[in-house]
Amino acid sequence: MDKNKSFQNIIMNLQYYWMDQGCVLMQPYDTEVGAGTFHPATVLRVLGPDPIWKAAYLQPCRRPTDGRYGENPNRLQHYYQFQVIIQPSPDNIQNLYLESLNAVGLNSKDHDIRFVEDDWESPTLGASGLGWEIWCDGMEISQFTYFQQVGGIDVKPVASEITYGLERLAMFIQKVENVYHLDWDGLDKDKGGKTYGDIFLQQEKEFSIYNFEKSNSSVLIQHFNDAEKECSFLLEDKINPLPLPAYDQCIKASHIFNLLDARGVISVSERQAYILRVRNMSRSCCLAWMDKSNV
Amino acid sequence: MSKNKGDKGNLLLELFSEEIPARMQTGSEKQLTNLFEKSLKNRDIGYGQISTFCSPRHLSVIIKNIDLKQKNQIIEKRGPRLGSNEKAIHGFLKSNNIQENDVVIKDTKNGKFYFYLNQINGINTSEVLPEIINEIINNFVWPKSQRWAYSELKWARPLRNILLIFNNQPIEGKVAIDKNNFLNFSTYTFGHRNENKKIEVENIDEYERLLENNYLILDRKKRKNKIINDTKLLLKDKDIKLLDDDYLIEEVLGLVEFPNVLIGNIDKQFMNLPKEVLTTAMKVHQKYFSIIDDKNNLVPKFLFVSNTIPKKERDKSIIEGNERVLKARLSDADFFWKTDTSTKIETFNEKLKKVLFYEGLGSLHDKTIRLSAVSIYFSSLFKVDVSLAREACILSKFDLVSEMVGEFPELQGIMGGYYTKLNGKPNEISDAIFDQYKPKGISNDMPKTKLGCMLSMVDNIDNLTGFFIINKKPSGSKDPFALRRAGYSIVQILMKLKLNISINDLFTEALKSYENSSKIIKLDLIDFIIDKVKFILKKQNFRDDIIESVISLKESKNYLFPILYERVNCLNDIKDTNDFKTFLVNFKRLKNIIKSNKLLDISNAKLDIHLFESSEEQEIYDKSENLDINLKKYLTDLEHQGIILKEVINLNYVIHSFFEKIIVNHEDNKMKVNRIKLITELTERVLKFSNFHHIEN
Repeated sequence: MDKNKSFQNIIMNLQYYWMDQGCVLMQPYDTEVGAGTFHPATVLRVLGPDPIWKAAYLQPCRRPTDGRYGENPNRLQHYYQFQVIIQPSPDNIQNLYLESLNAVGLNSKDHDIRFVEDDWESPTLGASGLGWEIWCDGMEISQFTYFQQVGGIDVKPVASEITYGLERLAMFIQKVENVYHLDWDGLDKDKGGKTYGDIFLQQEKEFSIYNFEKSNSSVLIQHFNDAEKECSFLLEDKINPLPLPAYDQCIKASHIFNLLDARGVISVSERQAYILRVRNMSRSCCLAWMDKSNV
Repeated sequence: MSKNKGDKGNLLLELFSEEIPARMQTGSEKQLTNLFEKSLKNRDIGYGQISTFCSPRHLSVIIKNIDLKQKNQIIEKRGPRLGSNEKAIHGFLKSNNIQENDVVIKDTKNGKFYFYLNQINGINTSEVLPEIINEIINNFVWPKSQRWAYSELKWARPLRNILLIFNNQPIEGKVAIDKNNFLNFSTYTFGHRNENKKIEVENIDEYERLLENNYLILDRKKRKNKIINDTKLLLKDKDIKLLDDDYLIEEVLGLVEFPNVLIGNIDKQFMNLPKEVLTTAMKVHQKYFSIIDDKNNLVPKFLFVSNTIPKKERDKSIIEGNERVLKARLSDADFFWKTDTSTKIETFNEKLKKVLFYEGLGSLHDKTIRLSAVSIYFSSLFKVDVSLAREACILSKFDLVSEMVGEFPELQGIMGGYYTKLNGKPNEISDAIFDQYKPKGISNDMPKTKLGCMLSMVDNIDNLTGFFIINKKPSGSKDPFALRRAGYSIVQILMKLKLNISINDLFTEALKSYENSSKIIKLDLIDFIIDKVKFILKKQNFRDDIIESVISLKESKNYLFPILYERVNCLNDIKDTNDFKTFLVNFKRLKNIIKSNKLLDISNAKLDIHLFESSEEQEIYDKSENLDINLKKYLTDLEHQGIILKEVINLNYVIHSFFEKIIVNHEDNKMKVNRIKLITELTERVLKFSNFHHIEN
């Protein structure tokens, strides 16, 4: 296979491309998140202090409910996003995006590229935006959002967020129908080459069992409560709050909520209450971050 | 060059943005027309034909024959009254900076006054255009809009270019995006996204063609025709055709600048999935059309509309790409199908206990229990087996927690139908569950079976009753629980099956199942349904006044529904006959006489036949008594509605001769009271059938 089309090359090529566009190249955030948006480089940075902020990074994401014990060719409880956040949104951002596809060997002129309405909302982050899902020959390969609000606060200036679903994108580029068959490194098998399945199949099996069957709900509920407590404690000092560590607690709570959800122990009415609690945490962090930024 | 008359010119405005959501495009064309017309009218600028266009990124309007100059305006200023003193007149002249011969004298309601008619010369339209364009853009309201970068302007998606040409000349001007950024009016636009070629427009007449040369079909109708014609060409010579879907076509039209219709293959391994699953999976996520053969069976092909310039190699790889995507989608659906079909219905039903129907209305499981209880009464009404009815109710909601319905909510009911069948439930039950969400409001798509109709009805009754109890009635344009639609569905089934139930009794059992005994809620529900009955009757082309004459009867909600329907039908049948029209005239005359004597107290009076002086009185009395007997016997007898109506109309002759011969206003009060009493009784009896005075003749 063309080495340039391997999973790791796609990551590298996106990194180089967006680096060349002036983005700060960052690394994944080191805690479990449900989406690249949760990275403080997106959620907090678009609220300040600098109105100009451009960053790009890879982010492994966890969605416990999407686990399928490694048996479904398209669904994973752990997967990769490549995230680009540019503030203020440039006038030529759509073209920048299309050129980024060329950078990963997907010439947009050879394909049917569509921008299909898809407004984005994250109830736990109190965030919303308008934009599209981007289709390439019928496959949704990216999400494109003009950030309007985060933590219930208007984002000014508006930032543009591009999220590439890397597995989907790579499956499209490699013309592969099963995510586990993705070529990770472009090396032949007899030379030690690895597929996505070689690296992650076992993980998908074990975590599906953990997420759906083994996680200890009462311990998780305790963790959630602790994170919430810690979060509000860290923001208590109004003169010198610690929004970054507090926000870590908010992310943790959000992931714990997802775990509880996967375990099926949250009733419909409780669900709303949990979401509200995470939302309050994220909002408090955002407000504290903004206060600090404006000093 | 377009031929403009000397004092008129054509205009082209194009608002070019990033991709506008498909669902907003048609509305935006209308709005652009309305706003432009308003701005021109407000400025007294005449204009001719308006045409609008839109593609995902272009929103354009061409207006023919706009006045090059605004019409001159005359502003009338009233001065002092004729004959006022010099000082006042001079003051008026001075304040307007005019001479004595500039004023005229005009007659008004309040006398003669001095007037100054100030003529203001209209300015060139090209000079006011920038103001007009700004006005339109700033007053534009999108269903949902956004900011971008520093913008203070909101638009559905970022606005990137404004093309403005008037009388084939560029217009200088700009629109503010924010304090520091402006879009200057330009004379260029862009072609198909693939090439994104910048196109200079010099002549308005060439605009549409220029874009079309660059693979951008601006006219929605032309795009639609291309899709339809290309589809015909692709499917010709085969006995297959598109599964009609107007909604999908409209949506697809808003996603393409140049429709390129392509066909792909569905992997055979998925053709065992239910038809509805295949079409829904293709349509909802992928916007693909299904293809059927002459027996209405799906064939393993799908049709889709790509937004590309046709090119053999590229088309081939686009088809392959889409086939792979569909395969992934259908493997998902297949996975859901296999998971669901290997799960016991009891397991699903157990899960329903944890799923809230709505805050305050219990779980979905509670709902099935209520439906089952209510169905005991309704099964005898629908003449269906009670134990089948109860089981259908109990099994009606479990599919809501299945994997498939979780992914495709529009398959609710349908999946329940399939899963119950696979689990060996009687066909009657699975057919009923399959159809339970029909009809969707006003629609001819009814459940196929009586049990299906019953399930649909008790479910809708439960929805209405529950949401009315927690005071979530629809109001104004807000109807988040689609209760109006539920109402229409109930009434349609009521009519179709001619159910022997009164509107009054419709909600009795459901209210009991909610353990609610509020009279107010019941009355609200009854009023709500009466409203829907009227609406549906109107839809069936019955005249408003005829419907009203029956439905407004005090007793109408106690009548079995078929009686009401039959009565409206009977009235409708004879509404145009001369006999009926004369009857209405006579009847109104009767009512008027009674009305003009309403001060007369006849409540204690008893009709005394010995006071009759003429055969006419006797005759009216006989007919009236006869009517009374028949009403008592047959008023609520379905077969007799037409016969009673005939009897009522036949009163014509006696009423007529009564008026000819008898003077009601007899000088002897006793006689007068007796006569008023006589016709009052008759009127009251006639009004039991219908409020004839509501009917216009």
